[in-house]
Amino acid sequence: MGLVLWIAPVIAVILSRIVNNTKQLHIISVCASFIMLLAAGFVTNSVVSYGTLTYKFFVSAFYIDAVSIIVLDITITIGFLVSIYSIGYLDEELKHKKTTSKKIKFYYSMMYVFIFSMVLALTVNNIGIMWVAIEATTLATAFLVGFNNDEHALEAAWKYVIICSVGIAMALVGIIFLHLASIDVVSNENALQWDLLYNNAKDLNSSVLRLSFIFILIGFGTKAGLAPMHTWLPDAHSQAPSPISALLSGVLLNGAMYAALRILAIVNRNLDDSGFTGKLMIAFGLLSISAAAVFIITQKDYKRLLAYSSIEHMGIIAVAFGLFTPLSVFAGFFHMINHSFTKSMLFLASGNILQKYNTRKISKIRGLLKILPVSGTAFLIGLLAVSGTPPFSIFASEVNVFLSIFSAEHYILGAVFVLLLAFIFAGIAFTLFRVFYGEPQESQYIRRGETNKPGTAVLIVLMLIIAGTGLYMPGLLKDLITSAQMIIIGG
Amino acid sequence: MENYYDLLSVLILLSSFVLVANKKTNAYIKTFRIQSAFIALTAGIMGWSSAVNEGKYDILIVCAIIVALKVIYIPHLLNKTYGNIEYRIEKDFFLNIPILIIICCGLVVFSYFSVSNIGTLTGFHINHQVVNSFSVVLIGFFFMISRKKAIGQIIGYLVIENGIFVTAMFSTHGMPFIVDIGIFIDMITAVMIMGIMVTRINVKFESINIDKLSKLKG
Amino acid sequence: MINITYLIVQIIVVIAIAPLVNGIIKKIKALSQKRKGAPILQLYYDLYKLLKKDTVVSDTTSWIFKAAPYIVFTSSLVAAMLVPVTTMLDPIWLAGDLILMVYLLALGRFFMMLAGLDAASTFGGMGASREAMISSLIEPSILVSLITVGLTAGSTSSYQIMEYMKYVDTPLIRPVYFMAFIALFIVTIAETARIPVDDPSTHLELTMVHEAMLLEYSGRGLALMELGASIKQLTFITLLANIFIPHDQLILISGVGAVVLSVLIYVIKIVFISILIAVAEVSTVKLRLFSIPNIAALAFILSFIGFMQYFVLGR
Repeated sequence: MGLVLWIAPVIAVILSRIVNNTKQLHIISVCASFIMLLAAGFVTNSVVSYGTLTYKFFVSAFYIDAVSIIVLDITITIGFLVSIYSIGYLDEELKHKKTTSKKIKFYYSMMYVFIFSMVLALTVNNIGIMWVAIEATTLATAFLVGFNNDEHALEAAWKYVIICSVGIAMALVGIIFLHLASIDVVSNENALQWDLLYNNAKDLNSSVLRLSFIFILIGFGTKAGLAPMHTWLPDAHSQAPSPISALLSGVLLNGAMYAALRILAIVNRNLDDSGFTGKLMIAFGLLSISAAAVFIITQKDYKRLLAYSSIEHMGIIAVAFGLFTPLSVFAGFFHMINHSFTKSMLFLASGNILQKYNTRKISKIRGLLKILPVSGTAFLIGLLAVSGTPPFSIFASEVNVFLSIFSAEHYILGAVFVLLLAFIFAGIAFTLFRVFYGEPQESQYIRRGETNKPGTAVLIVLMLIIAGTGLYMPGLLKDLITSAQMIIIGG
Repeated sequence: MENYYDLLSVLILLSSFVLVANKKTNAYIKTFRIQSAFIALTAGIMGWSSAVNEGKYDILIVCAIIVALKVIYIPHLLNKTYGNIEYRIEKDFFLNIPILIIICCGLVVFSYFSVSNIGTLTGFHINHQVVNSFSVVLIGFFFMISRKKAIGQIIGYLVIENGIFVTAMFSTHGMPFIVDIGIFIDMITAVMIMGIMVTRINVKFESINIDKLSKLKG
Repeated sequence: MINITYLIVQIIVVIAIAPLVNGIIKKIKALSQKRKGAPILQLYYDLYKLLKKDTVVSDTTSWIFKAAPYIVFTSSLVAAMLVPVTTMLDPIWLAGDLILMVYLLALGRFFMMLAGLDAASTFGGMGASREAMISSLIEPSILVSLITVGLTAGSTSSYQIMEYMKYVDTPLIRPVYFMAFIALFIVTIAETARIPVDDPSTHLELTMVHEAMLLEYSGRGLALMELGASIKQLTFITLLANIFIPHDQLILISGVGAVVLSVLIYVIKIVFISILIAVAEVSTVKLRLFSIPNIAALAFILSFIGFMQYFVLGR
């Protein structure tokens, strides 16, 4: 059943290359992602009952444990929601002659190549193949970022491809050193298998492993949008079509962070101490948060603002994993989930706003709640959530990160962290909250009401998820996160 | 045998220096081709000895793939892309060549100091080859920074990839076979995508100078 | 006593062979252009002719102009003495090493530049300034590569280096020596005023460097200058030949037979390197003066990488 996760997107890609009718393309896409959702449910169930899921006949290449299932479920759920949203979004674009049915075909095939490579990265045991799959996600989304094919989109796509390919090449250097560190421990046939490396972590060569971790953190950190390698992220996220931005922010960043986390676990187990990795992760994390804070307060483009907010949240996750206490790792995973759903909701809502107002400038948007009641509400709730307001779940996970910083007795770090988050909250409130009130400018003729019906439904579902997880955490989720945390921390 | 590997690793390093010293785009492509040929030769020698000693043929297959992709196909693709570009008379770099080369010498020293501590693990031959090939990675980076044209950046990316591949060859006799194949697939796709983008950039911006790509800020 | 005999042999061999190298290179170049070219011994005839002729000296020149040919010739010859032409010959009691050799050659070049300036013709000054630029760019590479080779041998005396190299098995596949060899090869081309740095066969005012400094000389002065230049060239070629292509088959034979045999082997190696230089010269074009730093940079990176390889390999 787990293999459905690999097969379904491949079939979707093949079918979307064959079919020409836009309506049929929509149906294929929704079906494929729905099947994946079912398969993901099944796989989650078996992981909850048995711990890990592997298939022996695949030379244990297929490997799912609690860590991957969390990211995998996020990926597939958001993939499903985005595929529904895309129906309305693309129809609207088609209606305004901003795109052609040929490009829609291309859009869907690339989107499923992306989802396939993402799922592949999350379900393989071999770190080398994980790298290959993560690089493939860059390549699959390159043209999606440049989908609009104007100068800005092209610039963003070029920067995205170049910076991410080169950055991720650094991760490959790191993986080679990892291979070198394990060459006497793991036999050549099983080289780079994560579970073997993890179980034999104590025997690896520590000095090579340290070197390897630096490269891997730089490499996957580029992809995860950690400062100072983040420069591609605001461009790509703001220029991509909004559903793709949602996928990039909610799925892609997590994938890169997941890969770094896997290796972090090995290194920490080898060194028997989280000091080395912790310093690096916290440094990159704090740098990302502060870079985001600076850019958010001066931002004039709402999609770029959301992108910078993603950088901030990846920074928070990096800090959480860097601290490496049980509480902080728990909070890190929980934050990953919360951020993914909230941020993809925001990007999807911003897609509706962009289609309605036809501008990316914050200053041109007024009276959002009147013009777009549902998207506006979603945008408002999402903004409150990402800036860390209770009772939303991001608040809960951020508080857990604070708590773990303070209980690890890093008082200065904790103070800086809180201060930066407060600064970001103020920044978002200052720049964005004005869009909800007032009247649209006279010159803009804007009709009230939502145009993207499926998209509206998606937004409502997402709002429910966000509001729900803030108030009540399901026992299943808690168990999953706890077992993921046990895997990462060990013991 | 180790002496040949030593020499080849130095020649690969030298070819990346020559690349940095080049001025014209077609000379970049030619140098890249030569570098890849050296890499193929290294893989060939290594594959031959592993085939004779251990009866494994995967490194030889990798060698064949390198010849097909890096020596023949990718340079051809780049030449074709370059042929499509209309606006090509532009100054490409902003530092003069001797300064670029001295900086690259500094990079070699840097990689010596950063990588040499892993010598505790393996023999000094491997250590020395890894220093050289890691320098190729750094020089590839530097080449990317030092060139303004989009095609130069593609070549820089390829040189980084070459350096990584050689590092893997020398340090661990190559990655597992399936990973190598995956890396090749990624690399060829990346180059194709970049090639298409260069053509589009050339049409939209009437130049392939990446200084013009500066509309998105803040 | 035996040392003095060897030294005399070496002086004779060097002076006798030096013009031959020029002849070989010119012949190969001519053949590559499908010309018949001058005979191989042409430079001997030229020197003989020049020695017979009168010397004309400009009124405005000082003593430097007259002394320069002797200084150039002598410094080249002494520098050549510091490099054994065969490893059988051991002029070690001259107590010199490669660094002294490099700076003796620099002394000769310095006086050549002064002489070029002395006559106050425009070409002489231009040639001198260009020569100064080229030599200052090239010098780091000579020293770095020679010192790298010296480090491996544990000495800067050329005799000891050559002794050491006899026991190194196929030096040219070792990265240290390979890089040093190519660096010294480029240095040789630059130092001996060959294409792509300078064109020895041209008297076009815009491009000439070496020839511009000799423009005012005639008769015996010119002969000495030419001979000095070709000895300098031979010195570099000898370095290349004897350090990187060592031979040690002659240890068992002693006496006159060994000397004759080793001189023969030496001549063969010299001819081989001359052919290499000729091929390099034929296959490149003369560079603009402002591109010469790039050639110098190339030589420098080669010697530098060789140096780094020595460091990394620790031998």
